[in-house]
Amino acid sequence: MHTLIQAIGFGIVTASLIAIGAMGFTLQFGLTNILNLTYGVVMTLGAMLGYLVDSVSGVNPWIGVITGGVAGIAATLVIGKGIFPFFVRRGIGLLQVVMLTLGLSLVIQYTIAAIDHGNFYQLSFFPTGPTYHFGPIVITGTELIFIGIAAFLYLSIAGLLHLTRLGKALRAMSVEPGLARSCGIPTRRIVNVTWILSGMLAGIAGIAYVINTNTVDSYSGNDFIAPVLAAAILGQSGSPGGAVVASLLVGCATEIVSAYGGSAYSTVAGFGVLLIVLLARPGNVMSELTKKIEFTV
Amino acid sequence: MQIYIATLVIYCGIDVLGAWSVNLQFAYAGVPNFAFIVFVAVGAYVNGTTSLGPGQGQTYILGYHLPFPLPLIAGMVAAGFVSLVIGVFTLRSSLRRDYQAAIMFIVGVIALAVVSTDTRIWNGSNGIAGIPQPFSNSFAPNTYNWVYGAWVWAICLVCYFVVEHLCRSGWGRGLRAMRDNEAAAGSIGLNTSFLRIQVFVIGGMIAGLSGGLLVDFIGAWSPSAWGYAETFVFFAAIIVGGPENNRGAIVGTILIPIIFTELPSFLPEIGYVGLKESLEWIIIGLIWVGFIGFRPQGILPARRLKVDRDSTTGWRKLAGVGGNPFRERRLLVTPPPSLTVETSAPETSAVATGGRAGGARDDG
Repeated sequence: MHTLIQAIGFGIVTASLIAIGAMGFTLQFGLTNILNLTYGVVMTLGAMLGYLVDSVSGVNPWIGVITGGVAGIAATLVIGKGIFPFFVRRGIGLLQVVMLTLGLSLVIQYTIAAIDHGNFYQLSFFPTGPTYHFGPIVITGTELIFIGIAAFLYLSIAGLLHLTRLGKALRAMSVEPGLARSCGIPTRRIVNVTWILSGMLAGIAGIAYVINTNTVDSYSGNDFIAPVLAAAILGQSGSPGGAVVASLLVGCATEIVSAYGGSAYSTVAGFGVLLIVLLARPGNVMSELTKKIEFTV
Repeated sequence: MQIYIATLVIYCGIDVLGAWSVNLQFAYAGVPNFAFIVFVAVGAYVNGTTSLGPGQGQTYILGYHLPFPLPLIAGMVAAGFVSLVIGVFTLRSSLRRDYQAAIMFIVGVIALAVVSTDTRIWNGSNGIAGIPQPFSNSFAPNTYNWVYGAWVWAICLVCYFVVEHLCRSGWGRGLRAMRDNEAAAGSIGLNTSFLRIQVFVIGGMIAGLSGGLLVDFIGAWSPSAWGYAETFVFFAAIIVGGPENNRGAIVGTILIPIIFTELPSFLPEIGYVGLKESLEWIIIGLIWVGFIGFRPQGILPARRLKVDRDSTTGWRKLAGVGGNPFRERRLLVTPPPSLTVETSAPETSAVATGGRAGGARDDG
């Protein structure tokens, strides 16, 4: 029992890392319908630039985190507003878009590798600080910060989506873009906001991930994209709340299995949750097949 | 030098097999198999362990001593079986195709993580080594490479005819119908879920075969040989060479895996170690993106499929494989010419470009 509760504690920490990334991914995917695999390299980019700023001595670690977010926004805007619209206008298909994002992520990832000489870099952002005990759960200060960041981001995004006019427009557009446009919603602006939000979350997720693993290299983001994708798909695209719940499921499953000695299978456990849900989900096959999927860029 | 050329010939044959498999799955059937390299790896591992025999110093499952062609077949069957298991779970009709792509991507990442951490399956990240080359005692090393190359290309030739026949058969047309409009394909009686699993398993077996051939030649196999980026080499070959065209796949293979990733090892090192590889991948990525945007049909476009209209009756003839008269189908898709306005060209052939579904006799 003790081990289980402890594992759940670790699971919550892992989940908060996954949740930051998954929220950004799911927002953007739900609105634009583009399965954006460049998300991984945007995370790497945020982590790298955050590390660069942090390695200047005497800089507040929070400035590094903010730099990561800003770098994520910049990279995502270039990709989402500069590159994707061009291809979408040429009438690219559902799978071709995935291939396109894969190709772009190859280019960006290896550009980063070419610049950083393909090395690993050690980083220590926040001082280790004291550890906190909540019953059997032991959490370090840094991990508490992650949980705090994730909770803060979730609350602000949920607030944005459900309390503001902008959020209402965003939700309307992700359900039915054509109808939203004809209601006079400024679709272009909403799409911009979505790219910015998703880029910011990608950058912060990247930097949180490398703070947790203490090393950064050009593969960091792509190592992390599998659980992020799993959580985003599990939690229904376009729903940050779903992404958070899914991250908790994935994170806890991963940590519980690794606590009971199956460290090789911990990632499988996280993924197993996704498979079980997909299998059990009542899928209305025909409606899924006949639905016309359009990209909104 | 001669050994190097022979090695390139062998690699080319092996990669062509992989490219055909991706072509069949991705270009014809629209199955986004981003875990492709996993099936190559399964074929390689099973072929390796079943020819190595019980492990000495290495731990792995399936250590049997099988005589020569059997390990290759075992690898193929194992890869097909793994594809069946993964396919049943992930390729569900209720999932959108980009979801399927994402899940396949995750499967690839996770398979790599499991095999490299659990040393009981295939010796973890150290991998298995010392796999004997079949019949290597009977030839001098120099000739052996050429003999092995001939063996690989003989298999390729057989595979080419099999794959080409599959693609042109009614089954292959069913694949394209499923890819273009799954709901419509289902409504004319195609069991699309089953079709997708079939093409996935067949592609998986070809992948396993190529992995087995590779491991017989290089004699070792470890997780570093099948990082998930390796999958993209095959996809790049297809995109560049020409989707839906098995000859285009050969051209793409010669260009991407051979010229862009094997030949640069001739060039002198530039800068620090690893820069050359990064530059290679940047160029491959740029070519990839460029082809998707500006030439989606690839270097060798798929041959156009023609639907001939019989000018007297106005029925469209859908001829079967190679115009076999016994496989002709007649479909009323347009009214007789007396009712249509368009009566221009003598050869009134409606050309379905880009190999859309329902096409028939190819005029290539």
